[in-house]
Amino acid sequence: MIYPYLLLSSIIIPFSVGVLFLILVKDMEALLARFLGIFGASFPFICAWVIYFNYDTNNLDAYNFELILPTGLESLGIYLHLGLNGLSLPLLLLATTVGLSAIIYTLFSKAIGNNIYVGLLFIMFSGLIGTFSSVDLFFFYFFHELALIPTFIIVMLWGGVDRHAIALEMTIYLTIGALLSLIGLISLYQTSGAEAFNMIELKMALASQPLSELFQTNIFALLFFGFGILVSLFPFHSWAPKGYYAAPTGVAMMHAGVLKKFGLYGLLQIAIPLLPLGASNWASWLLVLGLCNILLIGLVTLAQKDLKKMVGYSSIMHMGYAFIGLGTLSILGSGGVLILLVAHGLSVALLFLLSTCIYHRFKTFNMEKMGGLGVIAPNLSVLFGLSILASIGLPGFANFWGEFVIFTALAESDLTQGFLYLAVIGIIISAIYGLKAIALIVFGVPSEVLKEKFHNGSLRDMSYLEIFCSIILFASLLLYGIFPKVLSDPINESLSKYNAFISTSVESRLLNNLNLKLDTYNE
Amino acid sequence: MDNQIMDLLFNLLGILFLPFFCSLIIVFSGQIRNTVAPFFSLLSGLGSLFLTFLLIKEFSEPIRFSWDWIALGVHKFYIGFFIDSVGLTMLAMIAIVAFAITIFSIAYMSKDDSKGRFFAGLSFFLFSMIGIIFADNLIMIFLFWELVGFSSYLLIGHYFRRDDAKDASQKAFIVNRVGDYGFLIGIILTYWHFGTTNLEALAILIGADVSLISSGIGFFLICGFIGKSAQFPLHVWLPDAMAGPTPVSALIHAATMVAAGIYLLIRVQFMLSFEVMSFISYLGTFVALFAGFCAFAQSDIKRVLAYSTLSQLGYMSAIFGLGFPGIALFHLITHAFFKALLFLGAGSVIHACHHEQCIFKMGGLLKRMPITSLTFIIGTLALCGVYGLSGFYSKDAILIGAHDANNLVFYGLVFAALLTSGYMGRLIWIVFFGSPNSQAAKNAKEVNIIMYLPLVVLSFFAIFVGFTNLWPAQLGATILFDLDYLHHLVNYKVLHNKVLILGSGAWILGLTMAFLFYGRGTKFDQLEKQLPHIYSLLKRRLWVDELYAVYLDKVQKPIAESFSFLDEMVLRGFIVRGCAGLIGIIGASLRLLQVGRLDNYVIWFFIGLIAFWLYGLNMF
Repeated sequence: MIYPYLLLSSIIIPFSVGVLFLILVKDMEALLARFLGIFGASFPFICAWVIYFNYDTNNLDAYNFELILPTGLESLGIYLHLGLNGLSLPLLLLATTVGLSAIIYTLFSKAIGNNIYVGLLFIMFSGLIGTFSSVDLFFFYFFHELALIPTFIIVMLWGGVDRHAIALEMTIYLTIGALLSLIGLISLYQTSGAEAFNMIELKMALASQPLSELFQTNIFALLFFGFGILVSLFPFHSWAPKGYYAAPTGVAMMHAGVLKKFGLYGLLQIAIPLLPLGASNWASWLLVLGLCNILLIGLVTLAQKDLKKMVGYSSIMHMGYAFIGLGTLSILGSGGVLILLVAHGLSVALLFLLSTCIYHRFKTFNMEKMGGLGVIAPNLSVLFGLSILASIGLPGFANFWGEFVIFTALAESDLTQGFLYLAVIGIIISAIYGLKAIALIVFGVPSEVLKEKFHNGSLRDMSYLEIFCSIILFASLLLYGIFPKVLSDPINESLSKYNAFISTSVESRLLNNLNLKLDTYNE
Repeated sequence: MDNQIMDLLFNLLGILFLPFFCSLIIVFSGQIRNTVAPFFSLLSGLGSLFLTFLLIKEFSEPIRFSWDWIALGVHKFYIGFFIDSVGLTMLAMIAIVAFAITIFSIAYMSKDDSKGRFFAGLSFFLFSMIGIIFADNLIMIFLFWELVGFSSYLLIGHYFRRDDAKDASQKAFIVNRVGDYGFLIGIILTYWHFGTTNLEALAILIGADVSLISSGIGFFLICGFIGKSAQFPLHVWLPDAMAGPTPVSALIHAATMVAAGIYLLIRVQFMLSFEVMSFISYLGTFVALFAGFCAFAQSDIKRVLAYSTLSQLGYMSAIFGLGFPGIALFHLITHAFFKALLFLGAGSVIHACHHEQCIFKMGGLLKRMPITSLTFIIGTLALCGVYGLSGFYSKDAILIGAHDANNLVFYGLVFAALLTSGYMGRLIWIVFFGSPNSQAAKNAKEVNIIMYLPLVVLSFFAIFVGFTNLWPAQLGATILFDLDYLHHLVNYKVLHNKVLILGSGAWILGLTMAFLFYGRGTKFDQLEKQLPHIYSLLKRRLWVDELYAVYLDKVQKPIAESFSFLDEMVLRGFIVRGCAGLIGIIGASLRLLQVGRLDNYVIWFFIGLIAFWLYGLNMF
């Protein structure tokens, strides 16, 4: 079996490339450096797809492609235990796609031609892949930190206005979040009496010896708020818009697109299946806070005049759907959350990328000072318009399925049905700010200065680099939107294995109902 | 699957994807986009027409195919196609009207510098519209429903440099989203209530147990119709949508997309309870009257037609609500032809008058553009329901059906017919008769053959499409069913005569009154001069737009801004700083870590990591 090693090497190769960039590369323009960069960025992407096509949905084990390597920490139950299940596979695809696009863009755009920046980005990339392919919880956490720390450094060194304060605020928030979840994970491990600090062992230990409800509730609270802060859960979101505003494009894409999904992935993969009682006690909070994300942050998004801030806030708003989906504690809801995570990751990365492209044309992020992009850069306008529409859930793009499935899950039980009527208001709010952005940027007549630049050729439509980087993301959005089974098949397989997870009463009631009705139908 | 079914499937997919690939080819043809676009659109239009005729020829019983699209747990959502005589009738109408409009556009848009975008949008619209027709479940309908909204957005915003196009396209999309809010909830509730959204399965389930019908779900589902068919109070987007190119108004905002709402109603009729149905019928009557009044205060030729469309959609929903889906479909089809004809006629007038749209700057066009004028007048007479033209047959059926079911609706609709001929008479007398009121109108010349040929073809349909016995036998089963019901009413003869007298009276009276009041080719609006208060009331469309503006400015914007302010100041400024301070006070070590320099954090991370590793290796 070569695939587990492919997985391992898609963590190691970006890391080594990153280190090489940090210490060896002096001239970013050199052919070798570029070759190295392209190799490091595209290798994991290719591996991820090879792995995807060899993923066995009929596997009886919880994980495919397991690989266990010693680390010297056996006495603590820590191994380098890699593997993928249906929940991590889609996120691996997401991470490698966004990483490819972000790194290639950074590598070739002349904005920050710095080897340290690119090196750190590669280390972040390897951390992202590692997080989603770790079965071991220590490494799950370790790789997350490996990806997080470069974020701080990059924002601190190459961020925009006010970067020191913003980097600090991000650091405080994210460290507290990560710390809370770490405490939660360790106490879970300690109490469960599992033999190793990984998801499989924990699950087995907890299955034979369930935890008390009180304990579950407390641990779940730690994980919920810890992971929640990392995903910008209301009211712990204020680091996000500022952070993304200051962050350079590559990092904003990787963080908002992929790293942020770590928290929700943790809730979905660990917290909810391992602590079902805790989860059901906190479900109403998931729903309420998620709704605040959608409606309150949605309204805040409406008032934004700055393109990059608007994208940042809209990304916080969309995370609300994910929390609500988790709050339903059903297969349908969780499946929707995963689809949404992938879709949102791709679309928010795409929007950050295109915002930068737009910035280069107008030299400002203030939308009220833009206008007439349709005249000077039609391709960019079309792509930007479509990406906005994708992010507000136009069918044909993956986001639609995520939102639709989550909404459907909300109506499942009478308890959550009330949230349906409120949460769907989100589709109107996002249409308003999305179209407002398109109207302000694309429509209208360009200013005289821009026309001048356009005529003397210093202002052009998208370059090949911009087209390449955005088309990768755009095509993935379309792929998952038109063939959602690419994602839903592995997700479904893994979710069906969580027996604790299904709110059985509702599920079986529906099943009976369905069979009954279909019988009458067949007659 | 045997061969015949496979052939049908390919035929179906061909009709659906031909326009889709056409728009793809145009989008990817780069620099030569503008040159090749008309050619490919024409080709795809011809292909669609041919395949549709083939399908009608082969059609004997409903066709269905389905595959699962996404599966989670026990839940499955399907891609499915289903076509029966209702869908086939719609399809035939769309194929013919779209083809005529494509030909017209080739000439109308010939000077436009972004023809490529226009034709790509038009083709993509056809793809999504046909998708609605073919969908076998509500989720698929919703999906294409949104895509139709998207293409309409794209086409309304075609002249994107202009402010009116910018505002109108946004408004259309957002107002439609408001309708879709209800529609989406309705679909989701349907799924949980019945366990499926497949239309046939739903029909069978409800057929077996009528008590399953729920008014709540019904009201949510018809929100989609209210948005897309621009019924009150979501009608505000349609008049503004006239900012798009005229062929777009003809195809999307008169013949097909706005009719999709009625089509949806016909598809889900069995799910609508009595309360929902009567709500629809009163709403429709109200809109028919309301829009009829508003049309009198418009001076833009396209806006008059837009209000007329609204009013006719009101007609369709009124009769639908009384339980005659077939007649609603009948009027939908006849209306599509004569309204497309009227819009194209208006387009041809606008083209000849150098983009002048104000009717008071036209006048005397009959002599200058005889073919356009005659076809426009044919369309008007069909719309007014003159005996022998297509509009007469469907309007006649509507009035008889209404008389049979509900007197209030009946008299409302008769009055609306009077209004229709009134405002259309106003339009005709002012635009085509008298003497020209501007230099542009004086210089107007008949348009070239590519533009008037579609007018002639459509006026042929506007005259003859009402004769249902000329239709292929595969079409119109539902229509004939309802018409038969009316013919077999005991007092059919009496009713028929009564309606004939009232209906004909209405158009004769309307046209005459319009002539007496407005005269021929006047330069100014008589109504505005003589009854300024009523005029301004109508002009402002009963302040619905103002109400929306007040909501946006006085409610939504301040709320959004105050939330934004709160978010900035309170959360970030006060609470977060407070927390940071608190943490600082609690532990000096934490303070060192977090409020100190960032590199400290990195160093501490690695120190901690190494210490942890050493601990794990039992070094301590």
